[in-house]
Amino acid sequence: MVPRLRFVTGSAEGLSPNAGSVRVSLTNIYLFSSFFLEKVSNKVQQMTAQNMLTKIASGRVLDYSHNIGQYMGGMDWPGEGFVLPIATAVAVHNTVYVLGRGAESTGVAAPMEPRAFGTRVGKFSVGPTPGDEEHLLTFGSFGEAPGQFMWPTGIALDEDENVYVSDEWLNRVLVFDKDGNLLSTWGSRGSGDGELNRISGITIDDNGNVYLVDSLNHRVQTFTRDGKFLGKWGGPGDGEGQFNSPWGICLDQDGFVYIADHRNHRVQKWTPQGEFLLQFGSPGDGPGQLQYPSDVTVDPAGDVYVCDWANNRVQVFDPTGAFLTSIVGDAHEPSKWAQMTLDANADLRKARRLVSTMEPEWRFALPTGVTFDKVASRLIVADTQRYRLQIYNKITDYIEPQFNF
Amino acid sequence: MPDHSLTQMAHLMRRAGFGALPDELEERISKGYEETVEELLHPEAIKPVDQYELLRYQPWTWKPGTLSNPGPTSWVYRMINTKRPLEEKMTLFWHNVFATGVSKVDHWDEVADMIDLFRDKGLGSYQALLLDVARNPAMLFWLDNNQNHAPAINENWGRELLELFSMGVGAYTEEDVKECSRAFTGWTISRKIPRFPYGRFDWSFEYLADDHDDGEKTFLGETGRFNGDDIIEIICRQPATATFISRHLYSFFVADEVGVPAWSETPPIDPEAVKTLANTFMETNSDMRSVLRVLFNSDFFKKARSSKVRSPAEVVVGTMKLVGGADFPVPGYGELARQSSYMGQDLLNPPSVEGWHSGEEWIDSGNLIERINFMTHMVGDLERPGVRQMVEDLRSKGSLQPAEFVDATIDLIGSPRVGETSRKELVDHASKRGDLAWNEDATQRSLEMFKLVVSLKEHQLA
Repeated sequence: MVPRLRFVTGSAEGLSPNAGSVRVSLTNIYLFSSFFLEKVSNKVQQMTAQNMLTKIASGRVLDYSHNIGQYMGGMDWPGEGFVLPIATAVAVHNTVYVLGRGAESTGVAAPMEPRAFGTRVGKFSVGPTPGDEEHLLTFGSFGEAPGQFMWPTGIALDEDENVYVSDEWLNRVLVFDKDGNLLSTWGSRGSGDGELNRISGITIDDNGNVYLVDSLNHRVQTFTRDGKFLGKWGGPGDGEGQFNSPWGICLDQDGFVYIADHRNHRVQKWTPQGEFLLQFGSPGDGPGQLQYPSDVTVDPAGDVYVCDWANNRVQVFDPTGAFLTSIVGDAHEPSKWAQMTLDANADLRKARRLVSTMEPEWRFALPTGVTFDKVASRLIVADTQRYRLQIYNKITDYIEPQFNF
Repeated sequence: MPDHSLTQMAHLMRRAGFGALPDELEERISKGYEETVEELLHPEAIKPVDQYELLRYQPWTWKPGTLSNPGPTSWVYRMINTKRPLEEKMTLFWHNVFATGVSKVDHWDEVADMIDLFRDKGLGSYQALLLDVARNPAMLFWLDNNQNHAPAINENWGRELLELFSMGVGAYTEEDVKECSRAFTGWTISRKIPRFPYGRFDWSFEYLADDHDDGEKTFLGETGRFNGDDIIEIICRQPATATFISRHLYSFFVADEVGVPAWSETPPIDPEAVKTLANTFMETNSDMRSVLRVLFNSDFFKKARSSKVRSPAEVVVGTMKLVGGADFPVPGYGELARQSSYMGQDLLNPPSVEGWHSGEEWIDSGNLIERINFMTHMVGDLERPGVRQMVEDLRSKGSLQPAEFVDATIDLIGSPRVGETSRKELVDHASKRGDLAWNEDATQRSLEMFKLVVSLKEHQLA
């Protein structure tokens, strides 16, 4: 039993007047129906063997470690949990910044006036050992005032550990220092050079160039750290070098750029100079297929991890785009903070002991972000709808146990 | 005077959907009335709303918190953006019949799954729908069927199935209620992982044979070792079921009947109409499409114009279709989804299993103010593309005399028939400032007139 999505059909629509930009019309063959006794997404489970904590493919090993976080409910206080964590950024010394998308809240307001909670950046120390995580700092909140954001989507760090947050509603980038003090803000809405329309993924290279996914302009733009426009690539479409609502972005060791081309159900690889190189992925839920990928990250060996959002999994490809394996979430044990909640509530413990299987709890639910921590050699998956991060160690010197043990 | 076919089509789209703007009406008129009815009855030919788009920007809409998040948001998003209006109108219809509330279920997503069921199966066989409703976890929990055990029955579901979901009071006895409840023992819900610490999970239907009373039962004069499916099969053969459901359809699409609790004592407003629908229901084995085809093509439907009080959901959805700006996820969509609650209709949370009281009961001093405040707020907002369009449409007509100004506005807003008294008041008011000539003043005068028109009594009707 996998967290089911309601009946949806994937397709990209035509003109959306209020978005102020053209969205490309595609016929998407993909149908996702999950309804009562139909569990289409179980198909995914069957192809990638269940109950495995260690995935081996072609000499690479992804070894599930632990998860951190928990559901904070309708609460806006910071600390040991998240509200819809959608992206992370990793600094050295086991520091992880978690971007909380937040949720709209109830409360009397004028029609269409938004209120939200949980929209913030949380800074955590996350070591290799389950339970060693600590909340260090929370900053940012929902709104339009300086230092606030409404729809924070991407997070990245520069070499000084300044924190860049992209806001896809206010169309601006906020830059904070590592203590959460606002340093600068830049960006404005439009479709001209340097103008933005629902910016999402963000990443920064070693030279301090900022790569920003300009989602509803269907392109990537580059800027200096202060927001000065440098260049732009792409445009709307489904051909080579075109995009449809692209989302996440990352760089590899050599500076090549990978972009999750969300509504084209594929990943694209470009040179840092802005030339299209290759693409992989096609619509579907089979091995190597993608459905609305949201993010991508690359490890030092060149393996590419794609956050396959609507398929509730992370798929792994080699540098040529060949499919290797996928992971579907393996959180068998509650995190430290989740355990605190369980320890405090006997009814929760009783209720959990009455279910026939805890498997739905292990699995990803609309995971949105993937980040590779090079120093610790681990993959961090933002398991968004389960309010946690799942951490997998990437092991290169793994020795398999005896088969007929 | 408006052209008859325009009036007719506008009426059809208000009742079978949530209204339509002039361009859409023109297109549908050129297709033809009967052809339009067919198109409405076959939504599968038209692309549905892409729910992934809403989830992309508002991930919290997947499984909203009961108290902390506005639960009906994804449904409202669909109602506003659907190109399959009748399919979506049927979700509202069935939600009022199989009324289930989050106040007890405590999971918005479970009740929203019922709406998905109504969307999927609402235009097909009523019997097939009923079989699925009987297995729906939110419904089973709502009516305590998870507490209906072989050694000790709980009659809640069994009773409401007969009283409110199929035949209505008077068509069965208390013994039938008991026997029906016995047949549904063992129809329960599997336990699910609780909502802390990792969020919500889904319920599933579970049949426990050990908990099922397999003995002989006598139900509506028939005897056998009935299980739930058998009961439903018997129910669907009863003329009382055809009449009851047809009366619901009449009340929802044609003219407001009295509340359901009074149905056993009060005859239908138009017994012949209900009989016509019921006959089709029986002849086609409860095929909703066939019944609706007869309904929308009937004289009794075509004549029933401007007579029905719009429900709050229709007010919200209809207004947003007019003013625009809600066709793509934006912040504040959650608050939009709550607006019908302020007007007296808490979507996914009806006050009881009887559903909402409709017709004039939608209007009280509080609700009326909320409706008007909402609509005037929206039609007065120049930031909205639909509002700007209406101003442009007026401007394109050149200078307008007061009566022309009023009539043009009424057409743009798409109000049903405005009576002479109301119209005269608007014309008198417009006359105070003379002709509408396009100077600085004109935009403000237009917005004011939009607000006046939506505040009319007539505009509360469909």
